[in-house]
Amino acid sequence: MKKRKKRISPVAQALSVSCRAFTILFLILLVLLILAPVVWMFFSAFRPPDQIVEYPPRFFPKNYVIQNFRDVYKMIPVNKYILNSFIFSGSVTLGSTLLNSMAGYAFARMEFKGKNVLFMMFMASMMIPFQVIMIPLFMIVFYMGMLDTYRGLIIPQLAGVGGIFFLRSFFITLPAQLEEAGRLDGLTEFGIFFRIMLPLCKTALMTQAVLSFSGCWNNLLWPLLITSSNDKRMLANGIMYFVGQNTVNYGPAFAAGVISVLPLLILFVFGQKYFVNSIVSSGIKG
Amino acid sequence: MLKRVLKYWNKPNHAAYLFVAPAFTVLLLFSLLPLIISFFISTLDVTTYFSNIKFIGIDNFIEAFHDKRFIRSFKTTGLFILFDVPVGMLFAMLVAALVSGTGLRDKFFRTVYILPIICSSTVVAIMWKLFLNPNVGWGVYFLERLGFPKLAIFSNRDLAIYGIIFISIWRGFGITCIILVAAMQGVAEDLYDAAVLDGAGKWAQFWSITVPGISSTLWFLFITRVVGSFQVFDLIYTITNGGPNHSTETVVSYIYSVAFNTDNRLGYATAMSQILFVIILAVSIIMYAKMISQEKEGGNGK
Repeated sequence: MKKRKKRISPVAQALSVSCRAFTILFLILLVLLILAPVVWMFFSAFRPPDQIVEYPPRFFPKNYVIQNFRDVYKMIPVNKYILNSFIFSGSVTLGSTLLNSMAGYAFARMEFKGKNVLFMMFMASMMIPFQVIMIPLFMIVFYMGMLDTYRGLIIPQLAGVGGIFFLRSFFITLPAQLEEAGRLDGLTEFGIFFRIMLPLCKTALMTQAVLSFSGCWNNLLWPLLITSSNDKRMLANGIMYFVGQNTVNYGPAFAAGVISVLPLLILFVFGQKYFVNSIVSSGIKG
Repeated sequence: MLKRVLKYWNKPNHAAYLFVAPAFTVLLLFSLLPLIISFFISTLDVTTYFSNIKFIGIDNFIEAFHDKRFIRSFKTTGLFILFDVPVGMLFAMLVAALVSGTGLRDKFFRTVYILPIICSSTVVAIMWKLFLNPNVGWGVYFLERLGFPKLAIFSNRDLAIYGIIFISIWRGFGITCIILVAAMQGVAEDLYDAAVLDGAGKWAQFWSITVPGISSTLWFLFITRVVGSFQVFDLIYTITNGGPNHSTETVVSYIYSVAFNTDNRLGYATAMSQILFVIILAVSIIMYAKMISQEKEGGNGK
């Protein structure tokens, strides 16, 4: 397949000049539509309380204060929530990336009895919607005595079929002689995996990790199900405090939103490539 | 002895089990086992924390079919799917066609369009509810200046669901768009060269080469979007929590509230989730069958 760089999309090229100008205007309007509420939230987080309710509302505040952030800290234990979110997202990311890559590696490069049956079982479990297993899962975690604990939050999330398939498709592409070379060097099977294979898959692993981390960070239903005490609450759930029907504390709500989005925004700025990779990989069949 | 054990497990066809075992255990315990258990739970009358468990056979299922709120939640979910999936996908496809280039400009647009993925549903809810709040929202003010009436959209029984659909599209079209762009860039170049030799214009090329070339991706996206929309919960829960007056309650939000909010009826909630599962399964099978038969006909799919 020949690949030629197409700086501008073929469809855009097909349009007449005036049409093209119109298209760009449309795309820019779309940018504004995407950014407007986000940017407005950021500015409003620093808006003094009296300017928040003034009419007509302004997009940019006249002066900036950090009062709203102080108020958030008075209303909810933000640091506790942030720590919880990091513990949960961090552990699941590390654990699931390791477990998924091991399973993906075995399915990609090893022959063993029952491989096809196991593979089918993995495939089938991908078809199960979370809502169907939500209640039994709640019961299992309850009977294991892990309700409202970090263990209960983390352990059930430690493997994901999507991640296994994604990493499997990556391991398959590596050259076949790698194992032979490793064995000649006297490495064990695990040695081959950790010393040779994993370092070759850094991009895929990072993609998987970013996907896992952002998924956990923004996961709403799972922590809602498993945790009940304020002590174990995640940021995404904790700031639900500010979306109730009769919210009047607009200022702190903006600030809470900013606090919760900031870690992923930083991750997005530096690891944008991995976000894009993970999205694209989720859309590829089989 | 130890040496023999180590040697045994170091054979590739034995070591493989060690590689698969951890992930398999997790999936078995927390995915397959719950599925099996759910069949049992759906025949029970059981509350949270499991006191007074009673076997009641298919009563839960019978009740579900007579439950007006359950049926209404299906209608709401249907409405959501009907708008969210086709509008979201057509819009994403239009945009993808315009920004599928490899230049910096197109990359910039694509990056901005996927930005909403960093926002959790709660943040999306905070942001949009306040943006469209009639008292403080700049969005409402802006719409008013454009001549729209001043409305509290999320407290309006008829409009709230459309507001949520709009936000859902706002949040998801960039992701769909990026997947379509990747598919478009993957269409073989020589097909276009051949079309140029045949004298086809850019538009003709788009319809006769690009679209068929990405048809398998389109199908895949369509199927996963429909299945995902059947399960919509997060945005509903954070923006309106099913209200006002249950008008935005989807199947999953109803199931959730039956199980964990009001009645704590786990058995009944599980029975309803199984009905949903069967419907999703049936719809996916129909869609996959359609996809396969169409790909055979066209013969052009990747």
